Amino acid sequence: MTDERPWERWLRREPATPGAGPPGPEPPPWGRPGSPGTPVSGGTVPGSPGAGRSGPGSRIWTVGDVTRAVRDVLRGEDAFRDLWVEGEVGQVTVSAAGHCYFALRDGRSQLACVFFRAQRATSPFEARTGLRVVAHGRLDVYDAGGTYQLYVDSLQPAGFGDLALQFEALKARLLAEGLFDAARRRPLPRAPRLIGVATSPSGAVLHDILHVLRRRWPLTRVVLAPCQVQGDAAPATIVAALARLARWQDPLDGTVPDVLILARGGGSPQDLWAFNDERVVRAVAASPIPVVTGVGHETDVTLVDFAADVRAPTPSAAAELVVPSRQEAAAGLAALRGRLATSAERTLGAGRSALAVERRALARVHPATVLAGERQRTAELLDRAGRAVERRLAAERDRLGRAADRLPLVTEGRLAGARAELAAAAAGLAALSPYATLERGYAIVRTADGRVLVDAAATAAGERLDVRLARGALDATVTNVRDSG
Amino acid sequence: MGTEPVETLSFDAALAELGEVVARLEAGGMPLEESIALYERGVALHARCAHLLDDAELRVQRLVEEAGGALRAIDLRPDDLDDEAGTSA
Repeated sequence: MTDERPWERWLRREPATPGAGPPGPEPPPWGRPGSPGTPVSGGTVPGSPGAGRSGPGSRIWTVGDVTRAVRDVLRGEDAFRDLWVEGEVGQVTVSAAGHCYFALRDGRSQLACVFFRAQRATSPFEARTGLRVVAHGRLDVYDAGGTYQLYVDSLQPAGFGDLALQFEALKARLLAEGLFDAARRRPLPRAPRLIGVATSPSGAVLHDILHVLRRRWPLTRVVLAPCQVQGDAAPATIVAALARLARWQDPLDGTVPDVLILARGGGSPQDLWAFNDERVVRAVAASPIPVVTGVGHETDVTLVDFAADVRAPTPSAAAELVVPSRQEAAAGLAALRGRLATSAERTLGAGRSALAVERRALARVHPATVLAGERQRTAELLDRAGRAVERRLAAERDRLGRAADRLPLVTEGRLAGARAELAAAAAGLAALSPYATLERGYAIVRTADGRVLVDAAATAAGERLDVRLARGALDATVTNVRDSG
Repeated sequence: MGTEPVETLSFDAALAELGEVVARLEAGGMPLEESIALYERGVALHARCAHLLDDAELRVQRLVEEAGGALRAIDLRPDDLDDEAGTSA
């Protein structure tokens, strides 16, 4: 029995006797011809209705009991829930409801198969008589027919069978190697400066990716490393494209890609096969730059998806994932702008009130009365200074006039210089200290309430006055007031 | 406070600095003159970010490997891509 399947062996748990049974389905171990009603060989059938009620051979089973017993056994076996079966498609019947019934044959055996409408609708491949196919599904019992059958959930042309096994074997191997560990996955940059894209340069995928990036985050840059995404040459070109992106550095500004997208549009499992290639999976796992995969449609899973840092369901979704949203960034920016304005308002407001406080303090330190008292004295001094300036100015004019007689060419520049000198002199005079005036023999006479006395009529006999001299002061009393005339 | 001219800052750098500026202004406690300078820097940073958000255009290049193995990038204009995608989609 070279074409024997594992489950066939399982069904013949008892030592196989070549040629013991008739051609066709192998009889189940609990129902060998010649021992009706003996549900269990060695009593190992789980959940057998007969086992708990009475001893072997001591009862007559109903048909339903047998069917249920068989069904329970089938359902209890993990291998039967996830089964790949290869064979040639026999007679095909499609019911009015759209369900498809066919048999899979391989020379000496056949297996009844059901392919329900819902599963057929999503399958790219139909069962046709004479085709060699690989069916995937679960084994179960059809009570009404008393038959067991394969409930097919996907159907592939033969040849895919090898691929499916390769897929599972490679997946198990790389998983054991730790290539798919969650701990290997790296976080993506929040806003990448340069996105490396490995995909076909023609076709809708690149267009879709760029469309998403333009809409969502055009502040970034894209560098495309073209590769084939289908066919025997595809894996090598994908690996090369990833390697190019990893060593790319913009010669102008030194930018390197900080995230990679590996993408391909939808297709049959065979179309996507390059993304199950071990070289490609390893290249993705070993990429020094985080990789986001977007291969096929949402339901397609390839091995690179397990090795990627992030798996996106589609190429467009991959593009969405790698960049922030412009709208969100604009909202965040507006919020910052609001806070900036508020804080500025507060700071400047505080500044304004601080200024007001100081102004009030100044007013207390320099009350208007004090200022008024000083103003008069200042006026006097300025008046005198002004006259001094006039005199000096006149003297200077004379001097210049004489000089002009001798030197007819007196430049405007010299005149300007002289004027500046005069102005400086005037300023110097204006700054004359009142004490210097006192030094020249003047005195300041103040009344008891601090007024500077400039008019004899402003006082009267008997008033006490304060007389300030260059050094020291006198307390004086008015004995007589003479008319100013 | 940053001294780089805002015109050369990337969006991220400008946004990060704007965040710092706002935080410092909100914390307060600095002389009025410094506050004003900081505020003006903040306004400039905001303008830079807003400009980048509004006017940025996605730049797309395509890598080409030359005979010696050296890589070179060629600019792709949106039209090129649309044409390419349009004919083969």
